[in-house]
Amino acid sequence: MRSTRRIIQVLFFLFFIVLFIKARYPYSNALPSDIMLRFSPLVPVFDFIANFRISLLFWPALIILLLTPLLGRFFCGWICPLGTTLDGVSHLVNSPDNRKSIDAKKWRSAKFILLVGFVILAIFSVPVWGHFDPLSIFNRALTVVLYPVFTLFSESTLQALTHIRFMEEPVFAMFDFFKSWIMPEDQAQMQQVFWIALLFGGILALEKVTRRFWCRNLCPAGALLGFLSQFRFYERLVADSCPQCGKCARECKMNAIPEDDATFTNKVECIECFNCGVTCPPKIDAITYRWRWKPYHSAVDYSRRQFLGSAVGGVGAIGLASIGLHNKKAQARVIRPPGSLPENEFLDQCIRCMECVRICQSNGRCLQASGVTENLEDLWTPVGEMRTGYCEFNCNLCGEVCPTEAILPLPLERKKQTAMGLAYFDKDLCIPYAKDEDCIVCEEHCPTPDKAIKFDEKEYIAPDGSRRMVKYPYVDENLCIGCGICEYKCPLKGEAGIYVTNEKEDRLTKEDLVKPPAPKSKSKSQENALPY
Amino acid sequence: MRRRKFLRYTGTGLLGLGLGAVPAGNIIRAAGSNAPDAVWVENGEPAALLQAAIEAYGGMRRFITDGDVVVIKPNIAWDRAPEFASTTNPELVAALVKVCREAGAKEVKVFDRTCNNPRRCYRSSRIEEVAKSAGADVDQVRDYLFTDISLANGEELSEWPIYRDYLEADKVINVPIAKVHSMSTVTVGLKNLMGVMGGDRGSIHNRFTTKLIDIDQEILPTLTIVDAYRVLMHNGPVGGDLADVKTARTLIMSDCTVTADALALRLFDYQMDQVEHIKEAYRRGLNKYALDGVNLKTVNLS
Repeated sequence: MRSTRRIIQVLFFLFFIVLFIKARYPYSNALPSDIMLRFSPLVPVFDFIANFRISLLFWPALIILLLTPLLGRFFCGWICPLGTTLDGVSHLVNSPDNRKSIDAKKWRSAKFILLVGFVILAIFSVPVWGHFDPLSIFNRALTVVLYPVFTLFSESTLQALTHIRFMEEPVFAMFDFFKSWIMPEDQAQMQQVFWIALLFGGILALEKVTRRFWCRNLCPAGALLGFLSQFRFYERLVADSCPQCGKCARECKMNAIPEDDATFTNKVECIECFNCGVTCPPKIDAITYRWRWKPYHSAVDYSRRQFLGSAVGGVGAIGLASIGLHNKKAQARVIRPPGSLPENEFLDQCIRCMECVRICQSNGRCLQASGVTENLEDLWTPVGEMRTGYCEFNCNLCGEVCPTEAILPLPLERKKQTAMGLAYFDKDLCIPYAKDEDCIVCEEHCPTPDKAIKFDEKEYIAPDGSRRMVKYPYVDENLCIGCGICEYKCPLKGEAGIYVTNEKEDRLTKEDLVKPPAPKSKSKSQENALPY
Repeated sequence: MRRRKFLRYTGTGLLGLGLGAVPAGNIIRAAGSNAPDAVWVENGEPAALLQAAIEAYGGMRRFITDGDVVVIKPNIAWDRAPEFASTTNPELVAALVKVCREAGAKEVKVFDRTCNNPRRCYRSSRIEEVAKSAGADVDQVRDYLFTDISLANGEELSEWPIYRDYLEADKVINVPIAKVHSMSTVTVGLKNLMGVMGGDRGSIHNRFTTKLIDIDQEILPTLTIVDAYRVLMHNGPVGGDLADVKTARTLIMSDCTVTADALALRLFDYQMDQVEHIKEAYRRGLNKYALDGVNLKTVNLS
C-alpha cells in the first residue's frame, strides 16, 4: 500500500507541476491549468459561505469532500502537493520521530482554531483564508519564489557557459529548449517575494520540529478534512500478535497513533500514508487495513472553550479588518485584472493563488502580488503594476486561468473593450509638456484600434525666438482601457509622465457577460474578426 | 541653426546635390552590372513581387556569396496578425529566406527586438512559423548579446548597443513594412533598424531625428526590401483596424536604405519635407544615390 501511495503522490505532484508550467503563453484550455487550485477542499466551503451555492466548477474538491467521510484524509496523504513537498523536505532535514509527541499534540487544535476563525471572518465577508489554503500556498510559492529563483540560477548558469566560445552553440540550443518548455520569457521578478518566501520557508523549516508540522497543526484544509473523517469506514486493524513496541506510533507521520495503544488510530489526524504497516517488524506484521461498516469514532482535539476562543478571536479580527487605511492614493492605484468582479465580490472569490500573476509573466507582466493597501484582505491579491509591465492588448489569459472566476473568463473581443482604469498625463514630467520636445512613445504604443492617446501638434516659440513644432499628447477617456503600456514604456526614469489609476474601470459580473458591452473603442470596420 | 540654414537650401522641397555628398566608396557597383539603383514592383503576391524585384535588380548573387551568414531583419514589433499591416508580410519573409538559401547563404537568421511580448509577436505575426519552415534560424533576441559600438560621427550620441548577430553577419537584409508613424511620420527602412538597437530605445524618441541617424549611419544594411503589400495608412505603427490598411501589393528594393525610404513616401503621398529623419539622412550623406537622380526600374506584374 505504501508504494502505491508513493507512486500516486509523485504522479499527482508531477501533474500539478505540469499544470503550473503549462500556465503561460501560448495557452490551451484543453487541460485547464487552474484545475490544481480547484482541488482545494476549502474552496467550495468558502464559496458556499460567500454565495450560498454549490458550484460544480469545483468538482475535484467536491469529490474529495464526498469521499473524505468514507476514506479519511487521503487528500493530505496522497494528493496535496504541499504535503508531498513537506514529505520530501522531511527526508532532507531528517525530521525527529514522535518521542516528544505528548508535548507536540497540544498544537493540533491550532488548525481548528484557524479554520473556525477563517469561517467566522468569511461569514462577515473578510476573506483571508486563501492566504492559508495549502494549494494556494503551493502555487504562490512556485510562482513568486521557487520558479523565479530556479530560472535565475539556470539562466545565469547557461549565460555564463555561453562565454566559453566553443560551448556557445550547444548551450544556446539548451537555453532555447529551456525557454520554450520550462522558463518564461523573462526572469520573473515579483514584489512580495520576500514575505511569501518567509511564509513558505517557515512552513518547510517546521519539518525540523516534527514531520508534517503544518499538516498536523496549522492547515485549515486538514482541519476541515479531519473534522469530516471522524467516523471514516476504512480502518487500521492491529492483530493480537502486536507487542506494543511503539514503533508505528513513533514513526507515524501525523502522530495519529497513541503511545500507549497501538490499536487505536486518530482518524481526525491520520492521512492514510500506510507507513505504519511497513514499520511494523516483518516477523510480527500485525497491521492490516480493511472496511468496517460500524466504524469507531475518534474525537476532534478541539474543546468547546477553544471554539469560543476562536469565535471571539474571529470577531475581534473582523474589527481589525474593517478599520481600513483609507489612503486615497493607494486606493486609486489598485488596478485589477480586466474582467474582475466588483471589488467586494472579487476579494471574496480570490484565493490569492497567484495563477493569474503566473500566466501574466509570459505576457505583459503587469500583474503582481499586492501588499496591504487598505486591509489585510488585500494582501497577495493581483494588481496591475504598470511600471513593471503592462496589460497585453491581445491577451485574456488571466481570466482563463482564474480557478474561482474572481476574474471572469472574458472572450478576447470583450476583454479588449474592458477598461482596467484610465491614463493621466503628469504634465510636469511628460517630456513634450516639461521640455517642449517631441517624444510620444506612449502614443506610439497605445494598442486600441482608434488610439486612446492622441496629440496636438503646436508651434513652440523658445526663449531665444526659435520656433519648432511639438506634438503634445492627451488621453481620450472614451477610448482608454487603462492597459498601462503607456506608463510602462514611458522613457522617463522613475515616475512616468503618464500613469494609470482605476478611475473608469469596468467591473463585470457574470450577468454582464451575456449583455453586449457599452461601446468603448469604435472600430471603423466591422469585419475585425481576427483573433489578435 | 544648422537645420534652418538647411531648410533655406531646400525651399522647393528638392534637395541640392551638395547635401547628398556621397562617399565615393559607395558608388562602386558590382563590375559589369548595369543594375538600376532601385526597383519598384507592383500588382503581385508577396513571393512573386520579390522574385520580380530580384530579377530586375540583377539577382541575389550580387549581394550574397556562398557561405555567408545572412541576417534578415523584418518588422516583428507588434502582437498583431499580418492582416493588420503592423508587421512585415510573412510570405515575403519566407520567400526571402528561401532566396538567400538558394543564393548560397550558410545561415539565415531572422529576429527583431519587439515592442510587445516577443513570443506573442513572433507567433501572431506568423513570421516565426514561416521563416523556420523556410530554413531560417528564428530566435528571440537575447538581451545580453548587445555590443556597444562607437558612433564616431554622432551629433548627439557617442555609442549605442547593437545586437551582436547583426554586427557579425556577413550580409544584412532589412525588410521593413511601410507604415505611417505618429512620431516619425512614416516608418520604413531607417526606422526599422531600431529593431537591432539595444538599450533604452524610448530615450531615442526624444530628439529622435538626430539620434536615429547617429546610430543608423553606422549600421546601414546590405539591402533594403520595403514590404508594401499591405500598407498601414492610419494609427501607425500599431494599427489594429483593417479599415486603416491599404492593399498596395507593392515591393521596393534598393541597396541604399535612404533611397528605398524616399521612394516609399510615394505610397503615402508624402513629401520629403514632411519626414524629418529621411531628410536628415540625406543631409548627412547616408544616401548612395542622389535624390532626384535615382535610376528606378518599375515592374508591373498585372
